[in-house]
Amino acid sequence: MTDWTRRQIGGLAGGALLAVAAPHIVRGQGRAKVVVIGGGIGGATVARYLGDMKSIDVILIEPNSTHVTCFFSNLYLAGLRSLASLTFGLETLAEGHGITIIRDRAVAIDPAGRAVELRGGTRLSYDRLVVAPGIAFKFGEIEGYDEAAAKIMPHAWIAGPQSELLRRQLESMDDGGVFVIAAPPNPFRCPPAPYERASLAAYYFKQFKPKSKILILDAKDKFSGQELFQDAWSRHYPGMIEWLPSQFTGAIKAVDVAARSVVTEGETFRAAVANIIPAQKAGLIGEKAGLTDASGWCPVDPVTFESTLQPGIHVVGDSIIGGDMPKSAFSANSQAKACAFAIAASLTGSPQFPPHLFNSCYTFLAPDDAFTNALTFAPEGGRIKTVKMFISKVGESAEVRRRTAHHAVGWYSAFTADVFGGGS
Amino acid sequence: MKRERAAAVLSRAKGLAAEIRWFLGISLSATLLFPESAAPADVSQGAQIAATCASCHDQTGGGQAIPPIAALDEQAIVKAMLAFRASESPSLVMHAVALSLSDDEVAATARFLADRANAGRQP
Ligand SMILES: Cc1cc2nc3c(=O)[nH]c(=O)nc-3n(C[C@H](O)[C@H](O)[C@H](O)COP(=O)(O)OP(=O)(O)OC[C@H]3O[C@@H](n4cnc5c(N)ncnc54)[C@H](O)[C@@H]3O)c2cc1C
Repeated sequence: MTDWTRRQIGGLAGGALLAVAAPHIVRGQGRAKVVVIGGGIGGATVARYLGDMKSIDVILIEPNSTHVTCFFSNLYLAGLRSLASLTFGLETLAEGHGITIIRDRAVAIDPAGRAVELRGGTRLSYDRLVVAPGIAFKFGEIEGYDEAAAKIMPHAWIAGPQSELLRRQLESMDDGGVFVIAAPPNPFRCPPAPYERASLAAYYFKQFKPKSKILILDAKDKFSGQELFQDAWSRHYPGMIEWLPSQFTGAIKAVDVAARSVVTEGETFRAAVANIIPAQKAGLIGEKAGLTDASGWCPVDPVTFESTLQPGIHVVGDSIIGGDMPKSAFSANSQAKACAFAIAASLTGSPQFPPHLFNSCYTFLAPDDAFTNALTFAPEGGRIKTVKMFISKVGESAEVRRRTAHHAVGWYSAFTADVFGGGS
Repeated sequence: MKRERAAAVLSRAKGLAAEIRWFLGISLSATLLFPESAAPADVSQGAQIAATCASCHDQTGGGQAIPPIAALDEQAIVKAMLAFRASESPSLVMHAVALSLSDDEVAATARFLADRANAGRQP
């Protein structure tokens, strides 16, 4: 690991000052210090809730100046939301919640020395570390699909430039083209989202390119909310969306970016636009820091979200494995709160209560037709287990679905204020 | 005395943050170390459960579509939670939440929310 002090200080005027200054900032004069890696949904929530306790120094490390939410990005793809309306800065966390933001990337973790190394060369010590880096892609599982190929056949599974690229491609696609969505194997970020994407792309095509078709090549034989989606597809977009399970095609094996084709075991499909959503694993820093197991995800204690592999390091959000909670923003936010209270209990002696873990996702089938689910979870035998699960039903009235779509919009604004600061 | 010390720490920390920013060329976009006027957040059981409410209910009391809960009194919250527990309608999300809380937890959460609303109302 780089020795920050030796490398940066020698001979510089500020060196003497920093040699004293760094421990002051870093150790917070006896106050406990928590470093959070990743200013996305899980990381921002942990930082906010720890910051509000005002008894712990919180440092949040995030390379990007803004966060574009993946949730609602399918509405953007369909031309129903601007990307700006899905974009959040971290200033409110800094100004209103006492958090120090460092715009940099964590490149290494030293669990024994309790320190994080940043790309810019800084070494930060911590009393507790929270790692919330989201997902990384298993490039290489689909032949020909790598980071360069994603610039032509976007995944758009991390919102931002990838979403803009896919939107541009859909806009410039000729009427009558085939939009291929390759849906990934489990587990992956937001199980209903590939099918929400198909629904909202169909909504867009229906208005502007009605001869177009959507082909979903799935790596699975069933998917989340299947009955609700298939019902909606036949009601809103008859004949437009075809879903091919893995048992029919053998799933996607390769792409040919130059020919714009997608290859399954027995067939080659030509795509006017191809959206390839690859298999996923924990954000790369997880693997690098020895936080992942053979699954590629990070196992954690279901009460404290402390890594079962590296004591003193907590993991929340999409990077974790070990239970029934789906990889969603709602789950990440719920885990982050439980984790923040557990960290406060261990560092400051504040009381700890059994965590309440929830997930509730709104999924759009059309702009005024959405469904929702609600799940509660509890720790059991070292894992997170589902306790109750409720989901909207096929055959609900149009009025109920319209209300759910309206609730989704209300949820979005309250939820993003909870995560990125606001209210209180 | 305490205020002075906190203010001194704050200004020293800001100065040092500027030094570090200059020295490392990284952006410490803001270092606001705990304004001493604001009280630490409550970490009672009610507060911890109420943190969950904030995932959907606007904390400023506004909010579109999802009813605000920031100004409700204790009894109204308990009554509503018991009704949500009994039926999937009108909200399956609240049905799930209400089922997951014991009577004591509902009471603690309602007390916390009502106390916070009252504190907010004081001049
Ligand atoms: C199309 C789509 C629709 C979705 N819809 C919904 C929905 O309706 N409801 C819902 O609940 N969820 C939804 N999700 C899922 C949701 O977006 C994710 O589950 C959520 O973002 C996970 O939060 P996270 O904190 O784990 O990761 P992220 O929010 O991705 O945050 C990870 C952060 O870590 C940073 N980072 C990574 N590595 C480092 C490093 N080394 N150093 C510093 N920082 C680092 C990244 O820059 C990023 O900001 C959807 C997802 C998609 C793709």
